[in-house]
Amino acid sequence: MKIGYKLQDKFDLVILLTVLALVGIGIVAIYSATYNHPTAKGNINKQLFFAMVSIALLFVVYFLPTRSFRVVALPSYIISIILLIAVLFLGKTVYGAKSWMSIGVVGFQPSEFAKIGLIFFMSYWLTDTKRDINNLKELFYTVIIALFPILLILLEPDLGTAIVYAGISLAMIFWSGINLFGLFVVLSPGIILFASLFGTIPFIVALLLIIVALLFFKQNLFVSASVFVMNLSAGFIFEFILKLLKPHQVKRVLSFVDPTADPLGSGYNALQAKVAMGSGGLFGKGFLEGNQTQLRYIPEQWTDFIYCVIGEEFGFIGSIVLLTLFLILFLRLLNLTSLAGDRFGRLTIVGVLTLLFIHFSINIGMNLGITPVIGLPLPFVSYGGSSLLTNMFLIGVILNIYRNRKHHV
Amino acid sequence: MSDDYFGSVLRRRIIFLVIVGMVAIQIVQLVKMQLLESDKYEEKSNDNSVKAFPINAPRGIIFDRNIEILVGNKASFTIQLIPSEYEKKNSRLIETVLGVDSGYINEILKKYKKFSKYTPRIIMYGADYRTISWIDENQKELPGISYQVDTQRDYAFGINGSHIFGYTKEIGREALNKSKDLYSIGDNIGFIGLEKSYENLLRGEKGKEFFIANSRQKIVKKYSDGKNDVHPIKGNDLVSTIDYKTQEVAEKLFKNMKGSVVAIDPVSGEILAYVSAPQYELSKFADVTSNDVWDSLRFDEGKPLFNRGAISMYPPGSTYKMLVAIAALEEGIITPEETNKCSGGLKLGNRFFKCTHHHGKVNLKQAIEQSCNTYFYKLIRKVGLDNFHKYSTMFGFGKKTGIDISPESKGNVPSVAYYDRVYGKGKWTEGYLLNIGIGQGELVTTPLQLAQYTSLLANWGESKTPHFVKGYIDSHTNEYTYLDINSIKANVSESTLKFIREAMFDVVNAPKGTGRNIRLSNISISGKTGTAQNPHGEDHAIFIAFAPFDNPKIAVAVIVENVGYGSTYAAPIAQKLIKAYLENREEIKQKLVIN
Repeated sequence: MKIGYKLQDKFDLVILLTVLALVGIGIVAIYSATYNHPTAKGNINKQLFFAMVSIALLFVVYFLPTRSFRVVALPSYIISIILLIAVLFLGKTVYGAKSWMSIGVVGFQPSEFAKIGLIFFMSYWLTDTKRDINNLKELFYTVIIALFPILLILLEPDLGTAIVYAGISLAMIFWSGINLFGLFVVLSPGIILFASLFGTIPFIVALLLIIVALLFFKQNLFVSASVFVMNLSAGFIFEFILKLLKPHQVKRVLSFVDPTADPLGSGYNALQAKVAMGSGGLFGKGFLEGNQTQLRYIPEQWTDFIYCVIGEEFGFIGSIVLLTLFLILFLRLLNLTSLAGDRFGRLTIVGVLTLLFIHFSINIGMNLGITPVIGLPLPFVSYGGSSLLTNMFLIGVILNIYRNRKHHV
Repeated sequence: MSDDYFGSVLRRRIIFLVIVGMVAIQIVQLVKMQLLESDKYEEKSNDNSVKAFPINAPRGIIFDRNIEILVGNKASFTIQLIPSEYEKKNSRLIETVLGVDSGYINEILKKYKKFSKYTPRIIMYGADYRTISWIDENQKELPGISYQVDTQRDYAFGINGSHIFGYTKEIGREALNKSKDLYSIGDNIGFIGLEKSYENLLRGEKGKEFFIANSRQKIVKKYSDGKNDVHPIKGNDLVSTIDYKTQEVAEKLFKNMKGSVVAIDPVSGEILAYVSAPQYELSKFADVTSNDVWDSLRFDEGKPLFNRGAISMYPPGSTYKMLVAIAALEEGIITPEETNKCSGGLKLGNRFFKCTHHHGKVNLKQAIEQSCNTYFYKLIRKVGLDNFHKYSTMFGFGKKTGIDISPESKGNVPSVAYYDRVYGKGKWTEGYLLNIGIGQGELVTTPLQLAQYTSLLANWGESKTPHFVKGYIDSHTNEYTYLDINSIKANVSESTLKFIREAMFDVVNAPKGTGRNIRLSNISISGKTGTAQNPHGEDHAIFIAFAPFDNPKIAVAVIVENVGYGSTYAAPIAQKLIKAYLENREEIKQKLVIN
């Protein structure tokens, strides 16, 4: 007991153990998904390698001085931006997005590592007590910091990751103490964007709603007018962004509406994933026994559709276990926000929580057919070195923050 | 403005609700998919991956009347090709090993282009062991090529019977499209003969073999170790009416001759032996038949593919004299005692119609016995065309018998309408009538019709439609089922038939009978000779006969092409068949006793 207490004193065992469990489950699922695959068989070894490297990385980060994250905040953001620009010129196109870069034989996704830069710098930026987020000028700067990487990622174009970045920034701005009007200013362009997705009339209706809201907030004329103009331009910028999206990405979003309409087209993966999940039943078909998985009905299943491997072979029970592990992780992270030693730490935790949660929600959702197929890996579980290293690094940061919390409980 | 802030407690609650809410939605969806609707998804997942392949069923065996095998089955290897997996670069190699022309595989692929590329195409039946072991050894390099152990027809039982049994042939594309699930690509289907007529009984039911296929439809392994496989069910066995021994003798007798013989049980209409010569070798049709074989058969001068027994039409010659006599007696035109003087022929107008001899003064019975043409020239003038046509039709001439193989010819029985149509009203003379009175001219009949006519004469005007198959043994229940056979009847008085039968007895047994050369001491044969005039060469020899006289068991019609007199060439064949069927046959004797 005493040892256990001491260990819990130094490590947040809840987070460490759930994350290690998720990585373990991921390795089992990837093994199964690639077991019968002629070309992806080596992936399991790569994943094992990255698991070991990332666990080592986690402990390295854990022992760093807390200060160091604040020190590297600005440089890491700048490096991230440089990488995101570089990938647009030097990158390799994978699944229609120019998202991969190679240094020698090592390939990686800058947009994964850049998450670290974004979270650190947003935390750093929002930690400054002199800065009032509810001052529109400050809010404007903050939004610019958030939008910059998003725009670069949209140019790749990688819609899923862009959504993650937007989510992280929004959650961190929200957490930093924004008021209702500030939140409205940040969110309204998003609403306009979403409305214009459905055509001109919803776009105009949304604009009218914005005007009504502006009247309700009773801000001065200049502020109201500039918010309105910002919204109006957002609608037009959307047209531009839509052109940046590749046809397959537009199709994927649209196929969410009715995946059965085109079973061999873009809705195919979603449909086969659902069949894999559903046919698992209560106990699943057993390890390496899932016919959807073993007969390779879901392409690249070890990445975005890893959850339906678990769903098919381990059934409802396996699926629930995985959801429970994530739920424990998220609630523990939320809990840690009150334990963190400072505002920087709290904001970092919120950023990491949001990052993991958006990945989780969209990934599980598309496996279950409740969200569009937007290519986002399931954190810790899906195959992929960049994603695993980034996530484990951030968990290391969280554990570091826990180590330096204000009160020992 | 402070009340506008999201306090730290409130924002934590909001985030908490978002997290828990999301997981709750996911769990609800999981419950729905994995617990409530899992059956539906499981079905879909099985549909995805389980592929069924047909296993060919062996065809039913064809037995003779005493359950001796006539046509059987033997194991054979069938080579298949699945286009979705096949690599075309292998075609030349495979074609070389199979010993077929280059381009053969491509032709098959092209032919069935519109069919699913996941269903196998049969590229060869009856492949030899060498080829199969080659495929086994090179399985890895030959994707999409496989073989199944199949059955093919085995004709090694001593009977050829090409025109009886017929053969199977690869099903045509149109028939395949119409057949839905009964047939698959490359299946053999009865093409002619009994194989065609009884296709539904002989076919059997295909089995199914289940395999697991991956998303590219590549076969990975057997589905649940073959537990769900459905075994094929062999077709029903046909019990034919053929008598092995009689058929064997008939085939031997016709070995180097052209013509036809049909032997029928006159009571039941069961065909005991049936030969159309020359025959073709059925064993050449067991596999896919090569074009060379086809060509050699098609261009053979003897026309072996032609089924003479049911299709060829010959003038019946003097065998028709009984029919003219029956018409005359039944219509009361003459009495049996009425005599006529034969001085070697009859002069009508400026034409002289010949007889074979100077028969002198003969009555009706003698005219039949000695086959006097002069008597019948005079008689047919009295009978007239209408009566001639009426009684011909009564005995089944001029129409199909309805035998259970096809095609079949109707023959031709001239009538007033017929002559008017062909020559024009008033443009034909009585001379035409004289010719048909002795079974020549435009009167033509098939050997089968002649056999049926003989049966009716033998069995007092009653018989059944000639047929090859009595019944079948159901392969599910092993029960024997009789087929219904229609009765046929010639409405002729007993006294007339008695007279005719006696006259036919005299043909073989009376001192001056034209068929006396085939008289037997132990079997009482009755018959009638005939010679069909043939403008293209030697006459065709014809003989019809039945035996025994009192209790007829067999009726035979023999036609030998281009040899001469019926008594010399056709009658001995009839006699040998009768002997083969009736002599030293315990089962026949028993039947004789029972009857």
